Amino acid sequence: MLLGIDVGGTYTDAVVVAGGKVLSQAKAPTTHDDLLHGILGALDQVLAGVDPAAIGRVALSTTIVTNAVVEGRLEKVGLLLLPGPGMDISSLVPERPWLLSGYIDHRGRETSPPKEAEVAAACRDLADREVFAVAGKFAIRNPLHEQAVADWLRRHTGPAHITLGSAVAGSLNFWRRANSAYYNAAVWRHFGRFARAAQAAVAGRGVTAPVHILKADGGTMPLAAAGSRPVEAVFTGPAASVLGIMALAAPQGEAVSLDIGGTTTDIALWRDGAPLFAERGAKIGDYPTAVRSFWLRSIGVGGDSCVRREGGRLTVGPERRGPAMALGGPVPTVSDAMIVAGAADFGDKGKAIEAMRITAAGGESVQDAARAVLAVAADAIYTAIGKMIDERAAEPVYRVEDAVRDRRPQPAVLVGVGGASAGLAPLVAERLGVRCSVPAGAMVANAVGAAAARPTIEVTLRADTAQGYYTVAELGLRATLPSRRFSLADARDLASSHLAERAAAAGIPVVDVESVYDEEFNLVRGFSTTGKIIACRLQIKPGVFTTQEGA
Amino acid sequence: MAVKPFGLVFFPAFDWALTPTHPEREERLLYTRDQIVEEGLLDIPGIREYKPRLATLRDADRVHIGVPDIASHITDAHLVSAGGAITAAEAVIKGEVARAFALVRPPGHHAMRVVHGTRGFCTINIEAVMAEHLRRHHGVRRVAIVDTDVHHGDGTQDIFYHDPDTLFISFHQDGRTLYPGSGFTDEAGSPRAYGTTLNLPLPPGTTDEGLHYVLDNLIIPVLEDFRPDIVINSAGQDNHYSDPLANMAITAQGYASLAAKLKADIAVLEGGYSIEDALPYVNTGIILAMAGLDYSRVVEPDIAAAPHGLTDGARAYLRELVARQSALWRDREQLGTVAAAKAGDFWTRRRGIYYDDSGISEQQVEKLRICPRCHGYLTVASEAEGHHCGYQSAFAAVVPREPCPACRQGAKDAVLAAKRQGKYQHYIIQDKENDLLERV
Ligand SMILES: [Zn+2]
Ligand SMILES: [Zn+2]
Ligand SMILES: [Zn+2]
Repeated sequence: MLLGIDVGGTYTDAVVVAGGKVLSQAKAPTTHDDLLHGILGALDQVLAGVDPAAIGRVALSTTIVTNAVVEGRLEKVGLLLLPGPGMDISSLVPERPWLLSGYIDHRGRETSPPKEAEVAAACRDLADREVFAVAGKFAIRNPLHEQAVADWLRRHTGPAHITLGSAVAGSLNFWRRANSAYYNAAVWRHFGRFARAAQAAVAGRGVTAPVHILKADGGTMPLAAAGSRPVEAVFTGPAASVLGIMALAAPQGEAVSLDIGGTTTDIALWRDGAPLFAERGAKIGDYPTAVRSFWLRSIGVGGDSCVRREGGRLTVGPERRGPAMALGGPVPTVSDAMIVAGAADFGDKGKAIEAMRITAAGGESVQDAARAVLAVAADAIYTAIGKMIDERAAEPVYRVEDAVRDRRPQPAVLVGVGGASAGLAPLVAERLGVRCSVPAGAMVANAVGAAAARPTIEVTLRADTAQGYYTVAELGLRATLPSRRFSLADARDLASSHLAERAAAAGIPVVDVESVYDEEFNLVRGFSTTGKIIACRLQIKPGVFTTQEGA
Repeated sequence: MAVKPFGLVFFPAFDWALTPTHPEREERLLYTRDQIVEEGLLDIPGIREYKPRLATLRDADRVHIGVPDIASHITDAHLVSAGGAITAAEAVIKGEVARAFALVRPPGHHAMRVVHGTRGFCTINIEAVMAEHLRRHHGVRRVAIVDTDVHHGDGTQDIFYHDPDTLFISFHQDGRTLYPGSGFTDEAGSPRAYGTTLNLPLPPGTTDEGLHYVLDNLIIPVLEDFRPDIVINSAGQDNHYSDPLANMAITAQGYASLAAKLKADIAVLEGGYSIEDALPYVNTGIILAMAGLDYSRVVEPDIAAAPHGLTDGARAYLRELVARQSALWRDREQLGTVAAAKAGDFWTRRRGIYYDDSGISEQQVEKLRICPRCHGYLTVASEAEGHHCGYQSAFAAVVPREPCPACRQGAKDAVLAAKRQGKYQHYIIQDKENDLLERV
């Protein structure tokens, strides 16, 4: 049995699932000033009648990191950058950075060394900081400068924590890695405190299973391992919902999924049974980061969206002015329309009819008014899906083969979850001309997603055979290549052994490893081939436990 | 954002090479990709990246006369590269971005009007295809092309040699010392387009200072005088001090400040083969400069290796060059009238053209009607011979945009007459008025 907890804006949901079925579910109000309180409330309810020792794993999808960021509860970070030549990003990062000399070029070669004296000076200036983030351009191809700066920081000050940019992500993009490293350091202490308390509280309930946290990429990681990479636990709510859809509906091929909640609809596109990822990473506030996340679009349409007429035109959302009139709310909502149209059955139907009477245009029946409201809401969602498809089709490509092939997404099925999905999802599917599925359990999809999400981890290996070395950025590793005759297949083998190593260190089982991307270039100097540059990234595929595996 | 963003079409064609070890190979823009992605340039709010669309064969036929046809010489890569240039131009024309850079390959500026194969790494002329697309579909009339590649843009010059509405300015390493061996000051356009081709051969070793002297004192004033609807930069980067194919001394800062001053509406990558030591920095510099951002920190790690200082001889030469070409520009109408009078009814040029990549030698005779009412029709008789292609010949006529009835008829009659004689394998009319390429 797997236990999942999702901390939402209003409620904290908990479920116990086994074999893709929800065995028990519970709900408690989210306690914003102390998230753990609400989590434990839901936990105690869901465990009633369940043997805590039979729980195989507990996974939390929490807003702990997101809230810290949104509410600005961030620790002051000493941000040290080694930008080398290029764009000046000083004004584009969340904290005024200290700029250090030293440069690593695109091949991972040192072109100028960093200076300890500069780090010592920075330490004097940053005497009030206890957490630090260090990011260097091209550090993923040679982490030695970042590591040297970290050593000097330890020598000249007593840092509680240092995040290295090369360790937060193995992909190119110094600016994003710098932002990620900053946020990681800024939430490190806050998250650590929460993680320890959660771990202790769960153990106190007699649950001996490991506690995992959900990441933005839809994978989980053990709380202990998450302590050094808390930024990855940002924006897990939408990820949990997507994972829930995977657990409940398992869309195959190309699909579109909707999580229609109270005030928003989260949209995801799927290919080969998996949700698409944001190409470069998530944005935190105004800052792009390297945090891997699903590619989601959120629009302001949900069950509680208020409905009104503006100059004769019917509009839906984006604001919420309270619950549905059927539940005692002040203004007509989408939910009221659903009740009148027969797509939902709760609250006071008379009040819902009253809501549609307010909404109806002159001479329009309340049924027609309700249908019109739902059509407007569905149209907003349909339009947003179309925009996402256009954007995906316009995604730049760097190979001729990809440029000439039309890779426009063509979803064949629409999956809806969330409170208002029964009323709206079929209408959107009809507009798209695709099949619609609203799976059972759709109301607690997020908690199910957290419960069923598999742990994931990735490694990025890059080999430069002309220079005879390779790096694995996530491990801070730079090592000599076993042989100059090194192929892409060799690179995948080597990467998978490092993946196993990293997974073991984090306490994660290695299953369903996939290659996320690879590239291979011949290095030619003076008309002869002098070596190869090979890069590959492997990951344990985000997904859900389908049986008792891992439980 | 109050200011319009900058558009970037990046297409490194990571799966395309002329041959595995050719300078035009998969690796060429790898380190440029590394740098611009690592910098975060594709994420900053002022920069919008576009996916290149495919140019059509019709886009290519509007510019080129392929023998036997253009399709048999090109690959999909060429259509993506030319399409990338069009994508960049359309983003500017539609007002989505203030300027745009098509950082694409394969290049095009050595591809001439008639195409028998590949020369100087180029098969179709991507700037010309873009410019003619803009003229045909987007109401652009006056076009200026500034070629800042180290090699003379002989293909672009050839295509627009008779077009007074297209100003072509090329600076390059002196043709006596570098491929393609052309681009001298006396190549100034045919009589009715005299002066709208301006060549600026520079001595080997020219530095940022020398280049900017020519830019400030000749190129910018001429551009202002010409009043183009659109300015295109053929942005080759092989003037860099580290380029293995040439001998100049320009730095990333020199190129970036050139881009800032030139304010081209659209830049299109051409050559540049110092793929590790120059391209990452030059491209970053050009992108930042065109986007109106600070490029002052873009400096090559090995900048100490850059030669600096101009010799007195070079300085004197550049002064004389600017003076001579300024005079040519000032007196162009009068000089054109003299040239027209000397030519009589038809201006004729015989040339040998070599396709280094395809191993083809072409002999070409161009005859341009000197017409008082239009740009005049052009006939091109072309015979080519190569190891692989054997003998190929064609006789073509070009009907200009807005032709007078006499030139429209004259072009047709010339092709029909040639066909009756039967000396050539292919007979073609390129009709710029009706946007057609017809086989007769
Ligand atoms: Zn167009
Ligand atoms: Zn060149
Ligand atoms: Zn005429």
